[in-house]
Amino acid sequence: MTKIIEPSKQSSIFRRPSSETGIWSWITTVDHKRIGIMYGYAAFFFLLIGGLEALILRIQLSQPDNNFLTAAEYNAMFTMHGTTMIFLAIMPISAAFFNYLLPLQIGARDVAFPRLNALSFWIFIFGGAFLYSTFIFGTAGAPEGGYLAEEVGWLGSAPNGGWFGYQPNAGMKYSPGTAMDYWAIGLQILGIASLISAFNFITTIINMRTEGMRFMRMPVFTWMTFAVSFLLAFSLPIIAIALFYVTFDRKFGTTFFLTEGGGDPILWQHLFWLFGHPEVYILILPAFGIVSEVLPTFSRKPLFGYAAIVFAGFGIAFIGFGVWAHHMFASAISPVAQAGFGLSTMVIAVPTGVKIFNWLGTIWGGKLKLNTPMLFSLGFIGMFVIGGLSGVTHSIVPADTQQTDTYYVVAHFHYVLFGGALFGIFSGLYYWFPKVWGKMYNESLGKIHFWLMMIGFNLTFGPMHWLGLQGQVRRTWVYAEETNLQFWNIVVTVGAFIIALSIIVFMINWIFSKRNGEIAPFDPWDARTLEWTIPSPTPVWNFSTAPIVKSLDDFWHTKYSEDEDGRAVRREEADQILLELEEDGLNPSEHIALPNPSYFPIVLASGLPFLGYAVIYKSIPLALIGTVLLLIGAFGWGTEPLEEEIHLDSDE
Amino acid sequence: MSSSHSYPHEPTGVETRKLGMWVFLSTEILFFGTLITTFMIFKGSDFPGMKLTDVYDIPFTSISSFILLMSSLTMVLAHNALEANDQEKTRVWLLATAMLGAVFLAGQIYEFTEFYHKGFELTTNIFSSSFYVLTGFHGLHVFIGVVLLLALWGIGQRQKGLTLEGGMNLEFVALYWHFVDIVWIVLFTVVYLI
Amino acid sequence: MSDNHIEHPTPKKYVQIAIVLGILTAIEIALYYTEDIVGVFTDPLLILLAVGKFIIVVGWFMHLRYENKTINRFFVGGMILALILFTIVMVERASANYF
Repeated sequence: MTKIIEPSKQSSIFRRPSSETGIWSWITTVDHKRIGIMYGYAAFFFLLIGGLEALILRIQLSQPDNNFLTAAEYNAMFTMHGTTMIFLAIMPISAAFFNYLLPLQIGARDVAFPRLNALSFWIFIFGGAFLYSTFIFGTAGAPEGGYLAEEVGWLGSAPNGGWFGYQPNAGMKYSPGTAMDYWAIGLQILGIASLISAFNFITTIINMRTEGMRFMRMPVFTWMTFAVSFLLAFSLPIIAIALFYVTFDRKFGTTFFLTEGGGDPILWQHLFWLFGHPEVYILILPAFGIVSEVLPTFSRKPLFGYAAIVFAGFGIAFIGFGVWAHHMFASAISPVAQAGFGLSTMVIAVPTGVKIFNWLGTIWGGKLKLNTPMLFSLGFIGMFVIGGLSGVTHSIVPADTQQTDTYYVVAHFHYVLFGGALFGIFSGLYYWFPKVWGKMYNESLGKIHFWLMMIGFNLTFGPMHWLGLQGQVRRTWVYAEETNLQFWNIVVTVGAFIIALSIIVFMINWIFSKRNGEIAPFDPWDARTLEWTIPSPTPVWNFSTAPIVKSLDDFWHTKYSEDEDGRAVRREEADQILLELEEDGLNPSEHIALPNPSYFPIVLASGLPFLGYAVIYKSIPLALIGTVLLLIGAFGWGTEPLEEEIHLDSDE
Repeated sequence: MSSSHSYPHEPTGVETRKLGMWVFLSTEILFFGTLITTFMIFKGSDFPGMKLTDVYDIPFTSISSFILLMSSLTMVLAHNALEANDQEKTRVWLLATAMLGAVFLAGQIYEFTEFYHKGFELTTNIFSSSFYVLTGFHGLHVFIGVVLLLALWGIGQRQKGLTLEGGMNLEFVALYWHFVDIVWIVLFTVVYLI
Repeated sequence: MSDNHIEHPTPKKYVQIAIVLGILTAIEIALYYTEDIVGVFTDPLLILLAVGKFIIVVGWFMHLRYENKTINRFFVGGMILALILFTIVMVERASANYF
């Protein structure tokens, strides 16, 4: 098979990139699979950094009255830990799954707008780099006469107002310096990236489905991607404007959220949580989708109540917009609002419960295959139920008032976001490992990873419930010895290091298996969805001919029929079908036009951090550089056609 | 997006780019919704210093609002001309739209300068801040719209002329432009008249 | 690819629509100056007129009424969501000091 790429005939600023290997091919790629892989690695990198920050926090808290960190450094660490994990680790790792799998699951060749897809990836990278450049360029001062008026080292020169940047604490008066500006503008840039990918995925799902892929035949993971994209599209604009206001307050002297000028700090809380609560579901729904793929595959049963799961997902997404003020029960909001939001918070437990029962129903009576992805999915259900239940306790306003800003809350959301989202993500990483790399991961190492993580996770976050109820307050860098909090704090710290160990096991497994793992068989899991009907690793063109879908779980039905008792029986011709699929998938019979790589997404994206610095330092030259880069990117983009023919000729 | 291969897409029958644009516009509602909400909240609160009513000039703003409204007409006429494949007319109406938009922008700049000289500055009070950020954000949209229109007009000068297909097509820009107009319909009422 | 082209209005129709829009704007401005006479009805009427103009532009100029239902649902859905959310925020903010 040879590939001939015709040189670009279009006049353009740059010569059209044409290499297919090497670093430039990755930088200029618009292929959803490559973008997905890059998203995955970048997000995992930030996951490691965020994890490192967590370990630093835990070292500090392992002893009472510890002085491993100063108060200022502690503030910077927990703020960056939260911000990193949410915006730079979990969200983009979900985006990695969306990118890689979504087109495959709906039988498409790519997303609706391939170059926009590359753009959102590069904006994410530049946004993350921008945010982290605060450690080099940022300054975090102390309010005059304030408690933190001490020397702040580089570790403390990061945003320090908490991941939800409550005002006026995060305003100029109490957080002088530029660190919080990096936070506000960094999130702004990252928001743009997510917003663009949300448009892209929504459009892709609506308009790129293959023949016969009706909405109610889409895999649940695709459905959850759809729901997440809606949440992103409708919640990110709100935080974008709120961050604008913060930037104006900090840089241009307005008082949107500052009481001394007639502003309203509670309005910031409203706007932040109007985004922030949907954000919780943005983080967890992808894991719901992954688990809904893994459980039926390894239970060897169809998903129990497909329609219920889909509608429950959208129920969660919809109600998720109506519960934001439960984050504000301890703030000055009216009692009527407290009652209303307490109720809606209870209500949202219903669709979530529906999903849990559907998953249990899927496992029930199935022939379970307990390999690593399945273990992580089962772990997900258990841990998520704990996190979900402790979450419902927050809907009781008086109880919540007690728990607000204690470690009880910290325990709750880590059970949801770590025990939930991250377990789901690891499940997915193992499940689709053969798809992406064409190799099998090491099952024993995978299981060691799971059990280490399970133990470490529960040691870390379980005791936090008790610590919180005993009154250990969140976001304080020391506790007194007389409080008797030390024992559980040591347990928590040990747990955190066990998690770190499990991550190392995971990395060893990943690197080793990717290089030397067994070659993955075609359809290694006996799976149900379209991505397994093509060879692994996925060919550039995805599907050599457009698949035609006749039912839900179509691939499964081509392999299995039912006997009189309704049991699945493998068709005799199943193996033959798989062989043919593999053969066809590798040898497309027609010319396939694929979108060409392009320089312009990265050029366009590189303008944004300059604009960010320009606002922080009020510098006209930087603003000009940023604008010029944006213009070059946009102009080149506009004048360059999406695809020039690539001819894939099979040798006869 | 007309590609040479016969891979199936657009099961809904809606052009993918147009769909993407509508999704974008739907999220723009939330952008402006947040801005308007903030403006309304602060408008109703007690704040010291000048109000917009102390400085504004309703006849002037009415005229510029009317100009922006009419630019929607010229835009839709350009769209109509292109559907009839009348390149000449399309270009004329496009340019007219861009010019009307530019006049509106000039009016806004003039208005801001006037307000500023009368002492109604960005940091005068919470009300002036939200006024400038809200109308300024809209102004930025108009500016981007004018740039897009001019770019489209420039593309129209080429031999091939404009089509309703491909990347930066007219329908795409038209949708954006009309959206900017409807936002102003709301802002004119909410900010100036009520 | 979208062959389901529905007939859009003619230029003449567009001009007529624009005239209607212009008249509505004139009424708005007139209402503003006659606030003393119209009294409490001024603001509701102004909002009603703005909504009317909004619908005319979206429906006819943006061709939403000729479009596929998918687009319709999306846009209207975003509208409704925004209205609900922001009404709650405004009411909560306005009432926080009274309850």
